[in-house]
Amino acid sequence: MERRKLKDICLTCISLIALVVLWVIVSNSKPDFFPTPQATWERFLKMAETPISKTTIIGHILISLKRVLTALVLAVASGIGIGLIMGWSKKMNAVLGPILTALRPIPPIAWIPLVILWFGVGEFSKVLLVFIGAFFPVVLNTATGVSMVDPMYLNVGRVYNANTFQMLCHVVMPAALPAIMAGVKIALSSGWMVVVAAEMIASKSGLGFLITRGNESYDVALVLCGMILIGLVGAILSAVFTLMERWLCPWMEKKNG
Amino acid sequence: MSVDGKEKRVKLTLKNISKSFYARKEIFEAVNNISIDVYENEFLVILGPGQCGKSVLLNIISGLEKPTAGEVKFPSNDEKKVGFVFQKTAVFPWKTVMQNVEFSQELKGVNKARRREQAQYLIELVGLKGFENSYPRQLSGGMKQRVGIARAYCSDPDILLMDEPFGALDAQTRYQMEEEVLRIWEKEKRTVIFVTNNIEEAVYLGDRIILLSECPASVKEIYTLEALQRPRDYVDTEFLRMRETIEKNMDLAL
Repeated sequence: MERRKLKDICLTCISLIALVVLWVIVSNSKPDFFPTPQATWERFLKMAETPISKTTIIGHILISLKRVLTALVLAVASGIGIGLIMGWSKKMNAVLGPILTALRPIPPIAWIPLVILWFGVGEFSKVLLVFIGAFFPVVLNTATGVSMVDPMYLNVGRVYNANTFQMLCHVVMPAALPAIMAGVKIALSSGWMVVVAAEMIASKSGLGFLITRGNESYDVALVLCGMILIGLVGAILSAVFTLMERWLCPWMEKKNG
Repeated sequence: MSVDGKEKRVKLTLKNISKSFYARKEIFEAVNNISIDVYENEFLVILGPGQCGKSVLLNIISGLEKPTAGEVKFPSNDEKKVGFVFQKTAVFPWKTVMQNVEFSQELKGVNKARRREQAQYLIELVGLKGFENSYPRQLSGGMKQRVGIARAYCSDPDILLMDEPFGALDAQTRYQMEEEVLRIWEKEKRTVIFVTNNIEEAVYLGDRIILLSECPASVKEIYTLEALQRPRDYVDTEFLRMRETIEKNMDLAL
């Protein structure tokens, strides 16, 4: 078991090294269009020392995170609530289902013109856009999860005279939780993508802004730095979320465990 | 019916119970005019071929479904107090063994110390001491059904309903669980209504066996097994004779 783990780590290292080597080879042919790893690293160190647009690099990361997490909390709270109602009541599903199905395929980025027109370019607009991206996966997964709860579990609650509230707390919510968590996970990655897009269009801070700034000042290394940071922070977010999921659903089988 | 000159107390009466469903624009009759008296603390087995409406009958007794005609009467007290052991394993995967067992008491709002004490007793009774904090995925099929039995007992039921509880178990575990359910019943006497499609299981467990016909289910025959001493022996001549009698009389399931 230990040996196999070691082998896996070795494989990961090899593939990462191969990626960097590939980067070195490709970038050396046209360093102006594609900065070398070394140039990118130097740009990163410089960025860590001198603030861009009055905000340090940590500041940019935190601002993006704050926008995503604010929107995510709102989306999860309202999404689970509405999803629960839709999954539980066929009537409410008939009322809300078609509206959601029609709105869902619209990419959050398509809302940008309307949102800016209505609410300006402030923080609220960005949070709202991320909210739009995060809300739908939560609602739909919750509704599906709730409507697919095994009737046998509901019967257990019914035999012991559970009231509606008890039924939701003890049976429906925990039974649907894995589906809900999957929805939140999609919401998280979708929200992270939307925040970058929103920041690229109208912002003076955040990781998306770094990319726009790099683009405007022909600072390709900065663009690359922004992209790498977006990837890294996104990966960390999803890892943190997986840990949280284990903590929230201790009864579930651990994957790859 | 009388034993030792004492009249048996009727615990539950089913009176002319019928049940039909609408399925694909057709009326499907599941239960047809069943009347049964169930006595206090007896182990009553309802035996019938697969899909014959046995489970529907149990659901009607528990109140999960309403009969199309007829009524379920609890003569002793009006409040129905039933415990239900479900087919397969309806233990909640998201609750630990302890939380599963105390479920009904938690719903009733019994304080934690009291319901834990009661649940602990039952967990030990069904032989799961040491597994209180395990999740069902860590348990075998037989152990899960032990949790189901403890959970049903914990609601302090007058009547325990068991719906083919051992149907999903392998043969070895099944024999073991049949023995267990009798041991638990001897220790904590309750009125038990046990549904099965397995003749051997029925003869091993029952004080009485109600044999149902194929769909729509009606009472075909009632066998009283008080002559068979407990613990029963699967290869005892009387046991085998009873088994054969029932087998000849039982409808085949499609």
